[in-house]
Order: sequence, then structure tokens, then C-alpha cells
Amino acid sequence: MSDVKQASLNRNIRSQKMPWKVYMRRYWTLYLLLILPLAFFLVFRYTPMSYILLAFKKNNILLPPWQVPWAKNNGFEWFIKAFQDRNFIAALRNTIFLNLLDLLIGTPMPIIMALILNELAFPKYKRVTQTVLYLPHFLSWVIISSISLRLFATNDGMINKLMGTSIPFLGTENNWRAMYIVLGIWKECGWNTIIYLAALTGISPELYEAAEVDGASRLQKIWHITLPGIRSTIIVLLIMNLGHILGSEFDRPFTLSNPLVVGASKTISIFVYERGIQGSQFSLSTAVGLFQSVVCVIFLLLSNSLAKKFGERGIW
Amino acid sequence: MKRFLSLVLALALVAAMGIFSTAFAADDGFVDGKFTETRHIKVEIFNRNNDGGSDPTNNPFTDYIKQGMLEKYNVEVEYVSVGRWSEVDDINNLLATGEAPDICVTYSYPTIQTFADMGGIIDLNPWLEEYKDQLGDMWALLEDYNIYYDQDPETKTVWAVEAVLADRARLNTFIRKDWLDKLGLALPTTEEEFHDCLVAFRDNAETLLGADADKMVPYSTSTDIGWRNDLLSISKVAEDIDDATLYVYGYDDRHMLYPGYKEGIRVLNQWYNEGLVWKDFGLYTDSTAEDDMMKAGYVGAFMHNWDYPFRNNDDSIEANLVRNVGPDAAFVAVDCFKNDAGITRKFLADRVDRKVFFPATNKEPLASLLYVNFISNPDTIKFLQTGKEGVNHELTENGAYKTLAATGDWIMNSGMNIDYTITVNGLYIGEATESSRALNYSSVPAEIVVGAHEASIANGRTAKKYSVGDIVAETDVGTSLTAKRDAMLTQAVSASVDQFDAVFDAGMDDYLASGGQAIIDERAEKLLAVYGEAPAAK
Repeated sequence: MSDVKQASLNRNIRSQKMPWKVYMRRYWTLYLLLILPLAFFLVFRYTPMSYILLAFKKNNILLPPWQVPWAKNNGFEWFIKAFQDRNFIAALRNTIFLNLLDLLIGTPMPIIMALILNELAFPKYKRVTQTVLYLPHFLSWVIISSISLRLFATNDGMINKLMGTSIPFLGTENNWRAMYIVLGIWKECGWNTIIYLAALTGISPELYEAAEVDGASRLQKIWHITLPGIRSTIIVLLIMNLGHILGSEFDRPFTLSNPLVVGASKTISIFVYERGIQGSQFSLSTAVGLFQSVVCVIFLLLSNSLAKKFGERGIW
Repeated sequence: MKRFLSLVLALALVAAMGIFSTAFAADDGFVDGKFTETRHIKVEIFNRNNDGGSDPTNNPFTDYIKQGMLEKYNVEVEYVSVGRWSEVDDINNLLATGEAPDICVTYSYPTIQTFADMGGIIDLNPWLEEYKDQLGDMWALLEDYNIYYDQDPETKTVWAVEAVLADRARLNTFIRKDWLDKLGLALPTTEEEFHDCLVAFRDNAETLLGADADKMVPYSTSTDIGWRNDLLSISKVAEDIDDATLYVYGYDDRHMLYPGYKEGIRVLNQWYNEGLVWKDFGLYTDSTAEDDMMKAGYVGAFMHNWDYPFRNNDDSIEANLVRNVGPDAAFVAVDCFKNDAGITRKFLADRVDRKVFFPATNKEPLASLLYVNFISNPDTIKFLQTGKEGVNHELTENGAYKTLAATGDWIMNSGMNIDYTITVNGLYIGEATESSRALNYSSVPAEIVVGAHEASIANGRTAKKYSVGDIVAETDVGTSLTAKRDAMLTQAVSASVDQFDAVFDAGMDDYLASGGQAIIDERAEKLLAVYGEAPAAK
């Protein structure tokens, strides 16, 4: 049977109202294969999610959440408490601000880097450059934060020593934000180029040849062929990044932070750590986590529908 | 399927109920001071991950305890290690997952209170009443004061017993004696003289450090400003401050809420702006970089735990200084920060220390209490604190214990094995205590240790203890207020002189609005209700 025929048969199997028992007898092995992954998701993903109920219950981690009495204000006590907490509002503001900066400055960087790499003429040099650019991705933030301290400390830092200055790179809130973004780009930019470089290979070389025949310059080729060729990849990654606008990494702000800049560096993840893990306020931190997830999903849906509106494919 | 689901739910319910099943009931298996059948308990032990240290759960000291418990009470002991520097996080996780050891130790009472509120901690009161006769060693060491220190005045519940702080010395100010000698300066006896010394260090960096002059740090501190500058800060607190004020404004263990405290931080801010304080202290959140500077000989003075430069035998700051700088290099303690009455007043800690508690998952409360009793026995304490003769110590002619640098499994992971002696912190070996303390630091001459200890407790005052019951406002804000305090003090010290008031006041307002004021108000309210007292300061 040809592939086309088989595919069309598969499509029509259920629509032909095949009796359930017949269908299962024929395809039970496929469902058997599904059991393990399904069990994994059920046990390790969905069952723990039942503890989301904690966000609406009194603070008690020792009883199963369904046995714990509801929190005050129809279960919304912790949400109200969070929004009345100046520290949560500050963490929310910091998270959004840092993520926006990351999005605005961090997103174009790997694209530019991928375009530059794509233009390199010597394959060997290109490969070495790529590898060197990937390396920082494999360093943990703990290591990067200690390196940055040695490099950028106000007085003892190598950079200030070399320049004979005392610039507080990590000691004022604005400088710290800049360093946060710069170090983030340094760490992840190379790694993030991989996906764009992969997309670039999908562009037909014939387009470049035709453009060359037409006398297009290098920049014109980038602008009119390369960029439109990876546009859908850029949009998909942008949508996924927008979905994280309220999500926050923990190790990056936590390890880079210091007491001088807590006004800028306390993000929601640190707030949740301090209140939940250190302060045993499990209900409050669950409520904050739930709020974070809901907003992220809304952003994801919004950006996806926006992308579709502008004629792109979106992510589903 | 339905049947299966209901079975699973029923089992889950039974398991959950099991957590809360340790209500008091006398133990029938305990006859004539010993269990008829072997019992098994798990005990928390800090893991400090020391370089070259021994396994904290299995070494000659744990063998001694295990053997003793088995022989005396027929109880098997198993140790569960918990990270020393993440103990609150670790204990929180273990409690939340119902996997906490039977005997837990923490410095954080709010953690205990939070889990007690959830029904996760055993009320020790009925067990203590029933088995007081069996707990003679514990009672003799802790006395009613520490055993009932946290008892609720109304409900009479006891969630934890407090260990004894045997040595109440807290801090000292240390200064490089060899630098003073080199510059022809005397040991400072006032704040002004101390300041003059720092200025002299700064201005004579080339004389003192030669080619490393640019590394000069006249005075070093850390982001734990409250602890590391306590003697300076509290010298600005009035001598006649009343006990009620000390209680109502005494939530913060660094004394930050005491009236007058700000002026101490102002002095530090001025020093910072004069270039006398380590410029980068605010960026480092651990002590390694600062310790390295001290060991290398770049630091002129600092405040820290009373014996800080003497700790860790051959790796002590003093021993490193001698190796790196020369035989004369040494930090000595000075006592120079006087209050408005001209007294170098210090606020000493109460005689309480760590808190020992049993989570509700503990099925052997009596065996666990007997462990606490065994560990409080004077012979047990003496062995754990002094170790084996010829290995950990040698006896001097006058009966004092002189500490030796032990090797292998006999290395104590914590000074005087305080991690095992959970009911006492500080040397506690009877008559030999005072004479042995001076010999407890193998790398430092006895007279320097004695001088430091005397300086740190001179003119000490202990705030009066008030039992007003649980302060609800303190329960869930502890860690966030501590982080806020360290941040605001660090920022205030690093601010320019003309910005100091604005930065300090804004930080204090934020601290108070984040829960600090609620604590002050609740303390004042309960103090008035229970004792009829009100603080003189507003």
C-alpha cells in the first residue's frame, strides 16, 4: 500500500465509525506505547499540580490540600495579601522591567550574530567562532557571578584597576541592570544563534544566486532574502519569549545580586524563594506562582493571536 | 476503577492522619529507666563540609554517643546530616515532606512556630511533666529557664527547649597591634582614638604594606553590618534605656531598632567616605574574600565574633598572618566604644541558643528526650568538647585542657563539637572551663585569648526576658526582614555623607512598612496586657 493511501486510510479510520472494540483490537499496541509517557505526565506533572489548591487554602503543607480549610475572602486571601505587599509589587515591577530589557536588547543580538556568522567566508574559522560563542552557555550563573565580581568590583575589580577608575558596575541599580543584561547576552547569545543558523540553512541558495545576477549588494541580500527567510523563526521565538515576560529565572538575579542593588534585583522568583522555602509561607508563594503562570499563558495566547493576525503561522 | 481510586484516596488520608498521631501517651515499653525492646531514632546533625573534615554522621564522636545510648537506654541512634549554611531551608523542606529527623535543631524559632501552627510539631509539655525524673541531666543543664523559655503563657505548650549559651561573649574589636607599634601608636581606648588609628593606617599605607599599599583596608566589614559593627552602633544607645524599650524594640537581634542606633551607622558612613572602610564590602555576600585579605595582612581593624581570628587552629587568621607577614603580626582585642555614660556597654545574649524540637512525625518522643538527656550529661559533654587525650587535647599541670590539632576521623567538624552538644554552646567542662578556654586555640598565645574574652564581656548587660506568648507578626517575616535590614544598612553605610539621612530613613521606613512596625506594635500591646509595662521610648 502506498504511503498516501495509508495516510488517507488512517485519517478515515475513526470517521468511518469503526466500532470502538475493533479499533482498539487493531491499534492497542500504539496505546500501550503511550502508557509510560502518559503515566510520567500524570504522576510527575499533573498530580503535583493538585497542590495548586494551596493557593486558595490556609497555610498548611502537612495535610493534603483538599483537607485544609479554605483561606479567607473566598479563598483569595493570599492573592489579596500578595498585592497588598509592597515587596511583591516591587518584585513584579523588577521582573517585568528586567524581562522587557532582555526582550528588547537580548532578542536581536543572536539574530545579528547569526547573520554575521552566516556571512563568514572561511568554514573553519566559522566553526571555531561558533564553538567559542557557545561555551559561556555551559557555565553556571554561580561561576559567572564570581567571575563578574572579580572583573567588575568597584575598587578591586580588574577592569577598574586597569582603567584606574572606581566605576560601581555592580554597585548602583542602573549599572547593575545594564550588567545583568550584558552578562545575559554574553552567556546565551552564542547558544541562541543555533536555531537561527539552522533556519538560515533552509533558505534556498538559488535566491542568493538570482539576487547576485540582479546585482544585489551583501546588505541588500541580507535585508531582502536572509531576514525574510528566517522571519517565521524569529516570530516563533519572540512569542515564546513574550510568554516568559512574567516568568523569572532564579539563579541569574539571585547570584548576581548584592545588598546594594536589591531594589532592582529582587524578582518574583526570589520573592517566592524567600517567602516559600525560607519563610514557610507555602500558600502565599503558591498563589504568586499561580498568578505568574496565568499571566504568562495570557501573554502567550495574546502574542500568538497577534502573530496570526499579521499573517504568520504562530506556534499552534 | 472507582474502587481503586477510593482505596488510593483512603490510603492517602490514613497516611496524612498518621502525621498527627503523636498525641501524648505514656510509653509502656520503658521499664526501670531502659526500653525493653530496642528503639530507633534519627537525629539531625549539621554538615559543614569542612576541608579534610570527618563524616559528620559517622566518626569516633558519633560512635561514643551511639554506644552510650544503646547501653544506657537501648536506643539506636542514626544521624541525618543537614547543611549548616542552609539549615532553615533544609529543615523547612524536611518538615514539609514529613521526612524530618526525630530530633531537630535550628536557630530559627519562627520556623518551629510556623510548623507548630500547622500541627507539625510535638508539644513537649506533657512528656516533660511525665518523665522529668528520667531527665535529670537535661534539667540540671538547662534548668526551668531554658526548658520553659518558649512556653506559651496561656496554652502552656512547649514546642522547643532552648540550649544553654554557656559562653555569652559575642563580639570584639580587633586591631593590628604590630601596625600600631610600627607607627608608634598606643592601643585605642576611645572611638576618637580608634578613628585616629584608622586614619594613620590609611595615611601610612606605604610604610605598612610597601608595594601592596593600594591593597590597604584600614577597617573591614561585611554586608552583615548589624553584627559586624555592633559595638560601635550600640555605643550610641543611651545608658539609661529601660527594659521595656529593649523588649519592644528588640525583635532584630542586631539591635537595629534600638533608639540611637542610627548614629552608630552614621559614624560608619563617615569612615566609609573618608576611605577608611573596605570600599567593596557591599558586593561580597560571603566571607571568603574578606578573610583572605585579613590573612594576607591587608586589614588594619575589624569587629567580629569574639574569637574570630583565633579559630581553626593552623588555618586561623592569626596563624596565617604570622606565616604571611611575620612573627610579630597579630590582631589584638580592644574595648573602646563608650556610651553617653562613658561605659563600653555591650548587650549580651540571653543564656539561650539553639532550639531543640521534635516534629510530629516523631514516633519516639521519649527515646528522643532521653537522647537530649544523654547529650546533656557532663561526661558526654566533656568528651565531645575535649575529645581524646593525646589526640584532641593534652592535660596541663593545673588540669586545663590544651587543644591539639587533631587529624583524620578525630578532627572536630565544629569547634568544641557544638554540632553534637545540641543542648550547650560554648566550653562547658566544669571547673576546668576558664583555664582551658585560653588553651583552646592552638595557634594563639593564651594571654591574647584571655584578653579578648575579657574585653568581649566587659560591662555586659542582658535584656530582661518577657514571656508574652507568640508574637504573630514575627512568624512569617523573619527572612525577608533580615535581608531588608542588611540591604538598608549596607546602602546607608555606602551612601555619600549628604545622602546618609535620606537613604537610612527610606530604608527604615521600608523595613517598618514590611512588617517591622507590626512587630513593634504587637510587642508593645502584649507587654502592656501581660506585664502592664510600656516602653519609655516612642
